[in-house]
Amino acid sequence: MAESVVMEQKRRKTKYAVEPNFTEKKQFRPAGVQETGLAFVGYEVSDDRQTMNQFLHYDQLYTIRHGKNSPFFIGLLEGKIMGTRCPRCGTTWVPIRTHCWSLDCDLVETDWVEMPLTATVHTWTVAGWSGRSSLKRLPIILVYAVIGDSSVAIANELHGVKPWDVEFGMPLKVVFKPKDQRQGVITDFHFEPADGWRPGPMTAEKLRIKELVEPVYEWVKTLK
Amino acid sequence: MGERVCIVGGATTPFDYGATGFESIEGGAADCVREAMQDLPEFRLRDLDLMLYSHFSVHFGHQLAPEWIIHDHLGLAGLPHYRVENGGNTGGSALYAAALAVMSGHHKAVGIVGWETMDSVSQSQGSEFIALASDIRYELLVGGIYPIYYAAMANKWMKENHVTEEDVASIAAKNKNNAMDNPKAQWYRNEHRYITVDDVMKSRLIAYPIKKYDCSLMSRGVAFLIVCNEAYAKKVNPDGYVTVDGMGLSSCTIRAGDRINYPSWKERYGPGYPDMTEFAACRCSAEQAYKMAGIKDPLHQIDFGEIHDAFSTSEAQIYKALGLADGEHITQFLRDHSTHMDGQIPMNPGGGLLGYGHPVGATGLMSTIECYYQLAGMIPRKHLSTKTQVSNPECGIVNSHAGTGTSISNFILRRP
Ligand SMILES: [Zn+2]
Repeated sequence: MAESVVMEQKRRKTKYAVEPNFTEKKQFRPAGVQETGLAFVGYEVSDDRQTMNQFLHYDQLYTIRHGKNSPFFIGLLEGKIMGTRCPRCGTTWVPIRTHCWSLDCDLVETDWVEMPLTATVHTWTVAGWSGRSSLKRLPIILVYAVIGDSSVAIANELHGVKPWDVEFGMPLKVVFKPKDQRQGVITDFHFEPADGWRPGPMTAEKLRIKELVEPVYEWVKTLK
Repeated sequence: MGERVCIVGGATTPFDYGATGFESIEGGAADCVREAMQDLPEFRLRDLDLMLYSHFSVHFGHQLAPEWIIHDHLGLAGLPHYRVENGGNTGGSALYAAALAVMSGHHKAVGIVGWETMDSVSQSQGSEFIALASDIRYELLVGGIYPIYYAAMANKWMKENHVTEEDVASIAAKNKNNAMDNPKAQWYRNEHRYITVDDVMKSRLIAYPIKKYDCSLMSRGVAFLIVCNEAYAKKVNPDGYVTVDGMGLSSCTIRAGDRINYPSWKERYGPGYPDMTEFAACRCSAEQAYKMAGIKDPLHQIDFGEIHDAFSTSEAQIYKALGLADGEHITQFLRDHSTHMDGQIPMNPGGGLLGYGHPVGATGLMSTIECYYQLAGMIPRKHLSTKTQVSNPECGIVNSHAGTGTSISNFILRRP
């Protein structure tokens, strides 16, 4: 046996908890972003020299340890929507719950089930403003949709439809990004109208949404 | 029931954003305490036997345990202190904790300092910080900021209750215009103009049906409130104290989509409620507060309120959750301007979050302080005119609200 393997086994034997090994690793961090730690990076003083503001820079890489929730996020990498189901009361969830929410089921651990890639719009909105990381994608149609027989609605974007054409109760399909672009995050998939769905006729409300959304398209063009 | 809980005084700094809001947090806290002392000459800081700190996000302050800076600055080393954090309902939760401390008889006089410094990052970065209180694994990346979640909930609620964009725009205009009578209000200090329903309708889209003027303001601000037992209230402010006769605190799911079939709600209120439309935690906490205060008919027994109008749409949803109007009457209730200054039950005469501002940890305290000023007859001193004074109020409601309705508290304040 090679000496390094023996050393590795010795190292592991001294542990009293099992440590998983992570061979598959991917980093998507934008180039040039560095963890510089906390640093005061500048200041400003008012012209009357009565007030001072100081600039602090802070950048941190976090590890979100998914634990028992991991199969959902691994499922995303594989182009699957994984749900969970209670073995006692049969309730199904996406977003998943690793323990049943019913106080009668005593936090029983749930079973993993692969969900169908179909959903229904529960409610929706058309966003014309968002967080810094989403501004360039505006306008965004956000729907809360029920996937398969899930007892909860999941939020995600709806693509492939004009913002004013989204409807309550409309049938959807789950569409994944190409495999090489998936990151095991919720944005690995989005919703699109189910095949064969056609938007209804123009209404006063649709015209109103159109009027609100048109300046957003123009504004996004001005973003660098 | 233990000791009767009273409020004897309180004050806020001006609420601001950016260059005009330059005060340090401990400087702001000292300003608030000094103003409360001017209103209340008999009050001494050494009378306090507990300090609570109401602060939402250390992300904004780039400082862990910032309450330690304030506490020490106020000269209170040695006094017990801890921080309460509960999202947008941080202020309400701190008041709840202070009331419990007094009610138990263990503490006589409790000070609460609340604050937030949301202008320490850019506005879009700030929105994203707040959205870190959503379930980031599922919601942060999908366009996720709070106005979007609230819009999705309000859109369905408005359809089902036949409430229009104009109906809620009227709430937005009301609160911002009320704020024009309040020199500490951010709307007064910054935008400073009276607006109409039409102005709200024409403001830029945030997330349908919510537009820019339907949204509360990101703020920097500090607030201070004194909660005490009745013996102390009678000693320092015999003619101007107010009693907390009812209080309630309730909770709901973090992700709004998870409440459409939630078993404990089904058990409490039957199937189909709250869906993604109703603020169940508001209804539930109001029921607790009403029961404690002996209120059976809130519309007629409560004279006014300071409530959590993070969005104009949520103020309308809160009216329903508070039982002021049911689904059948809510549109008429709105179109009658029932909550305007000359209406049946004025709401947010101080300007609310839409007009006064929303420095999260200070917000619920600001609402409580405005409610206290109304009941204590202090509005002529604190506002610019008596336009925003409720006439002879006996009973007010304070409402504080977090997440997507994830934590909500209600308080009934009365003149003794
Ligand atoms: Zn179960």
